[in-house]
Amino acid sequence: MLTQREIISTLEMLRNENLDVRTVTLGMNLLDCGGSDLSHVRRRIAERIMRLAGQLVPVCDRVGQKYGIPVVNKRIAVSPIAAVGAALSPAELVELARTLDAAAREVNVDFIGGFSALVEKGMARGDRSLIAAIPEALSATERVCASVNVASTRAGINMDAVILMGATIQRAAELSADRDGAACTKLCVFANIPEDIPFMAGAYLGIGEADAVINVGVSGPGVVKKAIDRALASQPDLDLGGLSELIKKTAYKVTRVGELIGREVAEHLGIPFGVVDLSLAPTPHVGDSVGEIFQSLGLLAIGVPGTTAALALLNDAVKKGGAFASSRVGGLSGAFIPVSEDLNISEAARQGHLCLEKLEAITSVCSVGLDMVAIPGDTSTDTLSAIIADEMAIGVINCKTTATRLIPVPGKKAGDHAFFGGLMGESVILPVNNARGSNPFIRRGGLIPAPIHSLKN
Amino acid sequence: MNKSILSILGRDRPGIVASVSRVLFEQNCNIENVSQTMLQTEFAGIFIVSMPDGMTSDALHHELDSRLTPLGLTVLTKPCDHGEDSCPAAECEPFVITTRGPDRKGLVAHISGVIARHGVNITNLQAMFKGGDEPGDNIMIYEVDVPKAVDLQALAADLRDRACELQLDISIQHRHIFEVLHRI
Repeated sequence: MLTQREIISTLEMLRNENLDVRTVTLGMNLLDCGGSDLSHVRRRIAERIMRLAGQLVPVCDRVGQKYGIPVVNKRIAVSPIAAVGAALSPAELVELARTLDAAAREVNVDFIGGFSALVEKGMARGDRSLIAAIPEALSATERVCASVNVASTRAGINMDAVILMGATIQRAAELSADRDGAACTKLCVFANIPEDIPFMAGAYLGIGEADAVINVGVSGPGVVKKAIDRALASQPDLDLGGLSELIKKTAYKVTRVGELIGREVAEHLGIPFGVVDLSLAPTPHVGDSVGEIFQSLGLLAIGVPGTTAALALLNDAVKKGGAFASSRVGGLSGAFIPVSEDLNISEAARQGHLCLEKLEAITSVCSVGLDMVAIPGDTSTDTLSAIIADEMAIGVINCKTTATRLIPVPGKKAGDHAFFGGLMGESVILPVNNARGSNPFIRRGGLIPAPIHSLKN
Repeated sequence: MNKSILSILGRDRPGIVASVSRVLFEQNCNIENVSQTMLQTEFAGIFIVSMPDGMTSDALHHELDSRLTPLGLTVLTKPCDHGEDSCPAAECEPFVITTRGPDRKGLVAHISGVIARHGVNITNLQAMFKGGDEPGDNIMIYEVDVPKAVDLQALAADLRDRACELQLDISIQHRHIFEVLHRI
């Protein structure tokens, strides 16, 4: 018999604390769809997506309804298109992006990720073509997401790729200037990209994965915040060890929900279940914010001194709770700090509490990096590349994933407002040090070698 | 098997279960199942007991009544003549139906009526009505077994329609979600 408390607290989480399954992402291998004949490649890919993902949305909706847990987004992640379309030209790859976009629309998923290249050690022909295609591919499509892994702890940082990505981001922003550079909201540059991320824009299906897999992204910043608020209301002198324990237990519950839904969707689709990515991923809605958690913990706003320590506590507790809840935890698993996607974080930036340098500092302890950061449109490609290089260095040296999703907003300057709409949100444009300057260090290119794995200080 | 089912009602206080079970023990009866609950200040207990050969439910009732009535307890007794497996259950999925909303007469009758019309069995019901319009003060929790042959969408739609008429907020969820969230 269930207890009244178990039932009512579950309903509270669902109705008032925005507990949901943020995304069910179907990963599918497209490597055998490749070739040099564009029309054949397009046809095979479209058929594969229709066959594997045709029932994804109805099944997710049915399972969500059964448990009363909304599956907010349904998405697809494919093999890196740089490998699938290695024989194609940049113009042909743009056409392939249109095919992915049309197929995503057909099966009613909101994003399809995997317009991706892995170039941490070097760039092959297909990688160069894909990177060249990214600006137009992202501007001409609505649902296609791209990612490029330019660094890893084992390979070091491919600075030639970093330089290329600075220019690619700038060009993508120009091509979507009428939408404040929104094409860049679908482009991540990574160090140590995981092969099983269900969240966009970094989702792709890793080379080491099976034919198809269901990965789930759970969220729940609202649940964590309300748990903290309730605990502190009844026990105002609760110390940080106690708060960590509380967050851990809450993360456990959120993860269990994700695994339940993911396994059942996978079973209905006849596809193996992969991982739960337990990330505190906000949306631009009040009560669904990671930034609000910092205030509940006692900080004036995210960005003030104490933020890095608070995020370290939060991230670690989330991982511990999640790891206990499921033996299939993967992806990014941690807290996202996407500036424009979180009303509270965006407001902290507007008020001056959060600057680019502090964001960079906290990426040493959070799960991603400089995420959804709007910067002045006239930021030089050198400076864009330099920001990327700094972020990659944090990931490479600390053996963790880091990424950038930077949006140089065309025609706008620091302090102006950028509006991307929907889940991508809106944000003040953050000032950048040496925004328009050149950077001879970055331009030297080459490879920053992989770090030594002893002498850890 | 010679079995009887007993129901004991009365104002709650220490010693009720002890009094009932003492009589049963003295009558050489064996308790097979027992469940007790309290609603506000009232005790209710149900016992299934196996009786020695030759004893009847009426005889057991007479004994219990004579010993428990002076303690302010009411006893109901009836033969339990169905074996445990005599009524094969249809294959079911367990769901939990929860409603919250302003109190009024007939809420249980309306909601349970819809549940019954669809051939769904209520396995546990907890309801708390403090009165007034505060939704959190007036809650019904039905644990139900929905046979696989029942159209869940139609049941859910009917329940939502009725809840809407009654201004109730209703949710219908598979029981597993509550176990997964709260139990290791």
